Amino acid sequence: MSYGYTGKILHVNLSKSELEIEEPDEQFYRTYMGGSAMGMHYVLKETPVGVDPFSPDNVLALCTGILTGTPISGQSRLTSVAKSPLTGCIGDAQGGGYFPAEMKFSGFDAVIIKGRSPKPVYLWLHHGEAELCDASHLWGLTTGDAEDKLKEELDDKRIEVLQIGPAGENLVRYSALISMSNRANGRTGMGAVMGSKNLKAVVVRGKMKPAIANPEKFKELQKLAKANLEPTGMDGFGKYGTPGVCSPQHRAGGLPTYNFNSGNFDKHEEIDGHKLYNEHLRGHEKDDQNRFGRDTCFSCSIKCKRVAQIDEGPFKTEAKYGGPEYETLATFGSYCGISDMDAIIHANALCNMYGMDTISCGATIAWAMECWEEGKLTMKDTGGIELKYGNAEAMVKITEMIAKREGFGEILAEGSKKAAEIIGRGTEEYLITSKGQEAPAHMPQVKRSLSVIYAANPFGADHESSEHDPGYKAYPERMKEIGLTNPQEKLALNKEMMRFAMITQHLSSAVDSISVCAFIFGASFQLYTPEQLVQAINAVMGWNVDMEEILEVGERRLNMLRAFNSREGVGRESDTLPKKMFKRPLKGGRSDGYVLNEEEWEAALEDYYRLCDWDVETGHPSLKKMESLGLGWVVAENNVLSEVIN
Amino acid sequence: MGPLVDFLPDSDKGKATMILNNDSTITDMLDKLQIKRKVVVAVNGDEEKGLDHVLSDGDEVLVFTVISGG
Repeated sequence: MSYGYTGKILHVNLSKSELEIEEPDEQFYRTYMGGSAMGMHYVLKETPVGVDPFSPDNVLALCTGILTGTPISGQSRLTSVAKSPLTGCIGDAQGGGYFPAEMKFSGFDAVIIKGRSPKPVYLWLHHGEAELCDASHLWGLTTGDAEDKLKEELDDKRIEVLQIGPAGENLVRYSALISMSNRANGRTGMGAVMGSKNLKAVVVRGKMKPAIANPEKFKELQKLAKANLEPTGMDGFGKYGTPGVCSPQHRAGGLPTYNFNSGNFDKHEEIDGHKLYNEHLRGHEKDDQNRFGRDTCFSCSIKCKRVAQIDEGPFKTEAKYGGPEYETLATFGSYCGISDMDAIIHANALCNMYGMDTISCGATIAWAMECWEEGKLTMKDTGGIELKYGNAEAMVKITEMIAKREGFGEILAEGSKKAAEIIGRGTEEYLITSKGQEAPAHMPQVKRSLSVIYAANPFGADHESSEHDPGYKAYPERMKEIGLTNPQEKLALNKEMMRFAMITQHLSSAVDSISVCAFIFGASFQLYTPEQLVQAINAVMGWNVDMEEILEVGERRLNMLRAFNSREGVGRESDTLPKKMFKRPLKGGRSDGYVLNEEEWEAALEDYYRLCDWDVETGHPSLKKMESLGLGWVVAENNVLSEVIN
Repeated sequence: MGPLVDFLPDSDKGKATMILNNDSTITDMLDKLQIKRKVVVAVNGDEEKGLDHVLSDGDEVLVFTVISGG
């Protein structure tokens, strides 16, 4: 009998309306564990080299992991991978909620999708069965409306829906996959890939709960969640959610402001988690936010998700579209010089309704605002919208125009890098992208190890791909569990910080493959320690994995992502940071004057490559490394890779 | 303001003035606030002070939680 996983992977060919179930052996699950690594197995095997991201041949994998659906905090996560229409490199996005667990209960670990349906369809997975259903009547609906309609039609309020909104249908390059109308597999445009396939949604329902090999040990870990709550501070994290870090980021000089030109936002308190909790969450009038203003994922005790509601006024917002995370408060807020909380809540809801990544959307608008301030954009370009910093009404208006590809929104829907190519006039000077993906709200000038991770990460700038610098010194006991015992001074960008970056990247990469939450399992502040992640896997699976094996799964997935880019002709030349991070010192606050030194940074990048066993000149993984990770087949099965990897 | 504000006795937008005994350390200050979780502390902007650093009259101490995501 198998534990944890269902043992069934569904292959969907939308062009031929064919569904086929594969049943891999246990070794497959132990090698990849799920999530991103499992998805990459199929993407590397089945996606042709040089594929257009909107081609029917671009394979989209939606994968849960070995712990998904077991009753423990942080396990209900799903990872999507495919070639990204935003970056032209590999795309990867994780999301939580109730959908991932329910997909497991429906009888499937993963869905591998290729082809393009001649008409809109949705995939209906229920009680071990799979079918494609007509979705013509759902096309064009917002996520909330489509979900309501599906629940009504299927006469079941407990279905879970992972879907694209109108933005995905319109191929907005940073459109997202949305579940529960407020959870997002946000980054790298996976919604646009699904939209290009005429696949509106995946709908799931089932009761096939995963078996647990060692229930006694599993119970111990469940109890630990309560014991760990206060010492880790996760109780406060649950209360204020990720928005609770807005003001601390400002005080540390690391709250990206005015399109990353400062780490200091004077109005930080207006967009902070306290303000959101006390004045905006549903139930705040009667001090009942804990009941009505917080939400959670399947079986998670933290309840970090926000539920905001605005009953009247120009930014009227329904509670079903959730509330903003820290990243969203920063990108639509401080990035744009905006402190109007209602406007940010509404922009967040628009992204969830239409299905867009709030990070790329807010950051693209912030880039356009800087272009405006610098005189590179005028009313003529924007169709009469005054796109200056601080203009909340303009920000909200342009967000909706992007989703609909209306007016100037048509250009911004391409993402800031492609928009800069279209507009020209030196607007690329203001980009904050790596590999064409807009930077999230953690500043590489302040957390220096992130400067290399943002650049070298195979799917573009990302803040969840490694631990951040302060964690090394603050969590010595946990860092020791993964072999890190030599914390460095603030702002250090030396070999030891590259070792910290790489090892914690391997752990984060494992987290995204096991497909668990980065706030629950990780190397620093999280609810569970790295060692407790190992224990959770062994309790569920009946295996005897150790930390080394877990880190190797993470390293395996990282090299799979990297090898995908290598075969697409993407190597070291694309491992870059926005020019402004080297040229323009930050202004104001605790990070006043901070700027990266290009020479020091290039040396650090090369140290990182050497630690990874990647070629310093090309940035490609070595054949020796690939083979040591059991990935010799990736190179052997691909002529292009055989030429570039040696 | 982060979750730590809830630990301040008379919080005023995330700031409070504290009276400590002579030779009190950062650990003593955190104990008085009943902050048991892991934090990063900066004394007058300097993040390199250890938890056994002795505070002086007039020191400004910033206390951060460490969250690497969002």
